[in-house]
Amino acid sequence: MSSLVFIDLNKSKISDSSMQAATIANELDNDVYGLTTSKDDEYISSLGNNGFDKIFKIDDFNNIDAIKETIINHKINTIVSSNTNLFKEVVSQISIKLNFTILSNVLEIIDNNKIISSIFTGKAETQLRVDNENRIFLINKNIIDSKKFDKVVDIISIDSKISQNNNFEIIEQTLIEEDISLNDADIVISAGRGLKSPENWKMIDELAKKLNAATACSKPVSDAGWRPHHEHVGQTGLKISPKIYFAIGISGAIQHLAGVNSSKTIVVINNDPDAPFFKAADYGVVGDAFEVVPKIIDSLS
Amino acid sequence: MKILVCISCVPDTTSKISFSDENKFNSENVQFIIGPYEDYALARAVELKEKNSDVDISLLNVGSSENDQLLRKGLAIGADRAYRINSEPSDSNFVAINIANFIKKNNFDLILMGKESIDYNSGLVHYLCGSLLDIQTFNPVTFLDLDKDKKVIIKRETDSGVDKIKANLPLILGCQEPIAEWKIPNMRGIMNARTKDLIVIDPISVSSSLEYEKFSLPPEKGEIKYIDIENIDILINELKIKNL
Repeated sequence: MSSLVFIDLNKSKISDSSMQAATIANELDNDVYGLTTSKDDEYISSLGNNGFDKIFKIDDFNNIDAIKETIINHKINTIVSSNTNLFKEVVSQISIKLNFTILSNVLEIIDNNKIISSIFTGKAETQLRVDNENRIFLINKNIIDSKKFDKVVDIISIDSKISQNNNFEIIEQTLIEEDISLNDADIVISAGRGLKSPENWKMIDELAKKLNAATACSKPVSDAGWRPHHEHVGQTGLKISPKIYFAIGISGAIQHLAGVNSSKTIVVINNDPDAPFFKAADYGVVGDAFEVVPKIIDSLS
Repeated sequence: MKILVCISCVPDTTSKISFSDENKFNSENVQFIIGPYEDYALARAVELKEKNSDVDISLLNVGSSENDQLLRKGLAIGADRAYRINSEPSDSNFVAINIANFIKKNNFDLILMGKESIDYNSGLVHYLCGSLLDIQTFNPVTFLDLDKDKKVIIKRETDSGVDKIKANLPLILGCQEPIAEWKIPNMRGIMNARTKDLIVIDPISVSSSLEYEKFSLPPEKGEIKYIDIENIDILINELKIKNL
């Protein structure tokens, strides 16, 4: 039996989450296959370094019939994938049509039938047993470090005949102009109402640029229109787990913590020494953001 | 235009989560709410009804009788009737199969759900229903308006941006802010809700391949290390973020 990893691309290269998925797949199975929309054969050949034995090329992940056929023909019984909406949609179809069981928000795979999964938006965990040979693991980001492998990749093109969907039409596409997406960033600089007004985000942007980081904000900030809604992290916004999360001028209400508490390292900067966020932090700086942030920028220069 | 809004009933976002010694969720002192994403979905459905008199809103929950008070709240906000599939849901699959079975028996034009429920966070029920019923599903949807000829205009977030889509009904949508502002029931709504129907339905049984063996709280963070504002270099060194 073998495992299949859905490969998520970030600027035409395999994303960190998919590299981590491939490492996990190698711990479960000897034969690890990947599914990608990349057309760059030279690049695909290099994915042996990430632990792939075979890569299936497909035009579009929405081509469910072709994916189904691949799963059956190549005796795939385990799928490992990052938690993106596109992949959730695809695995839901696979789960219904081929009787796979989906395990969501996976934090740890104990063995082939037992996992730990995050629930209540990171406020709790559960140990789950799965009683099905066909499983789909949707893994949270940064639950392990990806490893390097020395495999040779076999490339197989899947015949793609996707039927035209006449039920909808995309009439306009807006791309979010950001260098680093919040989901992929290793470092996230997040700020809250403590910054007092939207003009003050200049220093946040500057720090983010220095650290190759993405920017985020708390709910009151996006509600007030100071920052775009897609930057809102927390219980009702985006849930993220970067390697380092900077919380600047955010008090740390339980709803905010729920969305970020699985970050590896949390740095809290707040002028209120009693801010609840300090209880969830690895590093704390008690001080005015307008003093501390420029000092960090200076120190990095 | 028949709209179905599916709601989850979950602990309030400010709740501290704990578990009893018997490995059960501890609901003592926990206030339950309509899931925040489903609350947005319901609010948008009510806004559409305010503008279009032919809109009819049904509300659906898969859960126990404790959820009836939240279904009443949904009726007070503006839904026309409520249904509850009487059960203790075991997993996403159970919920999706039961909702899909209900939809099959009662045709709807538009099925609104939240992006995810905030208890088990799978974010799969809309996609699973779409797959079971072969109905186009979009998630997360941040804008919804009716167009002519049984079409709607929506905006759906993707990993790289936002798609504006014109789509035929029927559709299943996973809703997210800023699709609408949350609504608070007014006195008239609360009075009207008392006479609206709340219909209880038996579930269909679904065999589950998942067993929840243990619940726990995440491991506690170690001791915090405070850095003096005059020694920011120490922080930069410990985080190893210079010259990334």
